[in-house]
Amino acid sequence: MSKMNRRRRELRAAILLIAPFLFVFTLFFLYPTYKVIAMSFTDAPLIGEGNWVGLANYTKLLGDKLFYTSVWNNFYFVLLTVIPTTIIAMLIALAVSKLKGRTQALVLTLFFLPYVLPVSVVTMIWAWMLDFQFGVLQPLIAAITGKPVPVFKNPYWVMPMIAVVTIWWTNGFNVLLLIAGLRNIPEDLYEAAALDGATPWQRFWRVTWPLLWPVTALVLTLQLILQLKLFDQVYLLSNGGPFNSSYVVLMQMYREAFQLNNGGYASAIAMVLFMIIVVVSVLQFQLLRIGGRRK
Amino acid sequence: MTTRFGKLIGATALAFGLSGPALAQVQVEWWDFLAGGDGVRMKALIEQFNEEHPDIQINGTTLEWGLPFYTKVRTSVAVGEGPDIMTYHLSRLPLALEEDVLSPITAEDLETAGLATADFFESSITAASTDDGQLMAVPFDIHAVVVHYNRTALEGTEWLDADGNLAGLDSIENMTALLTWAKEQGYSDPLSFQSEGGGGTWRMFYTLFKQQGGEMLTDGEVLAGDNMDKAVTAIQTLADWRAAGLIPEQAAYEASVALFSGAKSVLHINGVWEVPTFKDQSEAGTLGFEWFANEVPQMMDQPATWADSHAFAIPNDPEMSEETRAAVLTVIGWMEKHSLAWAGAGHIPAYKPTVESDDYAALQPNSTYASLADNAAFDPRSKIAGVASPIYDAVDNLIAPAVHGFLSAEDAAQQMKDQLQGLLN
Repeated sequence: MSKMNRRRRELRAAILLIAPFLFVFTLFFLYPTYKVIAMSFTDAPLIGEGNWVGLANYTKLLGDKLFYTSVWNNFYFVLLTVIPTTIIAMLIALAVSKLKGRTQALVLTLFFLPYVLPVSVVTMIWAWMLDFQFGVLQPLIAAITGKPVPVFKNPYWVMPMIAVVTIWWTNGFNVLLLIAGLRNIPEDLYEAAALDGATPWQRFWRVTWPLLWPVTALVLTLQLILQLKLFDQVYLLSNGGPFNSSYVVLMQMYREAFQLNNGGYASAIAMVLFMIIVVVSVLQFQLLRIGGRRK
Repeated sequence: MTTRFGKLIGATALAFGLSGPALAQVQVEWWDFLAGGDGVRMKALIEQFNEEHPDIQINGTTLEWGLPFYTKVRTSVAVGEGPDIMTYHLSRLPLALEEDVLSPITAEDLETAGLATADFFESSITAASTDDGQLMAVPFDIHAVVVHYNRTALEGTEWLDADGNLAGLDSIENMTALLTWAKEQGYSDPLSFQSEGGGGTWRMFYTLFKQQGGEMLTDGEVLAGDNMDKAVTAIQTLADWRAAGLIPEQAAYEASVALFSGAKSVLHINGVWEVPTFKDQSEAGTLGFEWFANEVPQMMDQPATWADSHAFAIPNDPEMSEETRAAVLTVIGWMEKHSLAWAGAGHIPAYKPTVESDDYAALQPNSTYASLADNAAFDPRSKIAGVASPIYDAVDNLIAPAVHGFLSAEDAAQQMKDQLQGLLN
């Protein structure tokens, strides 16, 4: 068989193998993305075509006070979740990696369980537990603050509480990633460090932390992207209120599209959020990598 | 899809030598949002219809009330996968017209259903029609908020008349006096309603606002002129009650019902749709006190009660077959003529012959509060109003927080005006 022939066969196999992915990717990502971009320049309703309006939607968005409130709330939420969730996940991962065999599997399962629940179940559990009138957690809150607090109806509590619910719900996945990272650190490094008389603290900062950094950076970036896309929890727990203190960008997009029938404007909002996520996450990942290399 | 599947079953049945009629059976896809005490009644009606009509089968689906329901209707109708018939809030009609999701109901349609517009309360027909008078849905009921009350607790007080109906609550001061008395008697939340936001607060606010003769929209302007002051008065009244502990703080819908049935409240202002809930509990002897319901008393300048209307609507699907449409109309006609069972779910039927019947007069507490139909204050007719509309969100976002002391009544009303006006322009 000639070399040429073999290469062609390989090429055919390669195309055949990636074809299903390419097809799905084009149909469910590229094409809709193209449509959203096109729609954001029109005055289309939710369903159906609209007229070309150029940049009108974008200029309107720049003058929309509610949009700035939503963007601000998005970043506030990122602040409340991304670093805390990573630190908590790391603590759990370090503790779990000390366990052995079945106990480890069991504990890991317990931490992972909330992650498999759908968001509607998660929010319902927490809404019940935190119900102002009958919630089982209200006595605990009352013990700390002196009186029960309607957490999802209080402008100061609403975002931090949604953050707590989100961390509880999604942290299992981060724990898994970090445990995988921990398992990749060769045992001999710890042995060598122990021989040199390193304290546990030194072993963490000199061995674990630098070698876990790539995974940590990944967790931070994935979290950043995920939390900027916040919608479900807000929609189900607080509906953006009270007085817009938990209003986020996707909430605004949803209202514009589904309630007010402004498909074009909603697409523009979606595009801007998309750009924000791309810029912020690329920036963050690069910074983290640079930060990691310096160590 | 479903009809094809139905035919397939029919054909299979035929092939196996079973009886023929299954072949001609029409499947009617039915969507509603009735999940409360009234949903149980509606399911019974559907079952009865199916039993009586071997040639038509209703496949009922109950979806989540509010924005999820209307979003689903909107998107499914657009791609031709909607139901054949659905329940619809008439307050939501202006938005439906803009979205073009409803199929007009012609005079022949009504005839097929065995109905005529004269059979219905005029206000409901107006609410179900376009501004040009084209009927877009068939009204099924008028529903409103009523005062559910603990008769046992009020026994022997000046607030019950000889028949055991609420009396003497002709001003806000008198209402406050009753609630203060109840508080002293140990009722932790004398008047309960869904105070957490959204629907419950809107119904309460709108009732007080309309009792002052307020108008949300006049010539495309939100809260014009002294309507602003009336809105502030309505919010302030609720805020004062909350500050005095007379209404519950942040009660979710279910919690507000539980506060009443758990005897922590003496009065409970909520929809007629909870009548079957309390009625069933009364009959089962699990309520622990004697319950009754009256029209919300006139506490301000004029009688008024927030009201809305459920109707049957046919989605705008050009591909719907004549056969299916005829079956849908048969369903509508049958439902209207059996609306006495729906009255049992608390609602006031829009079909007059039912309300005028002796059976209805014997229905308690329904016939007692039927008087509210004359004082029904419907949501403003606008694309920003109606169930799950921007007005509901503004109430959730601004009015409810003001009631609970996070915002002044003036600020809340002003911000609501600005926000809603922005959507109209």
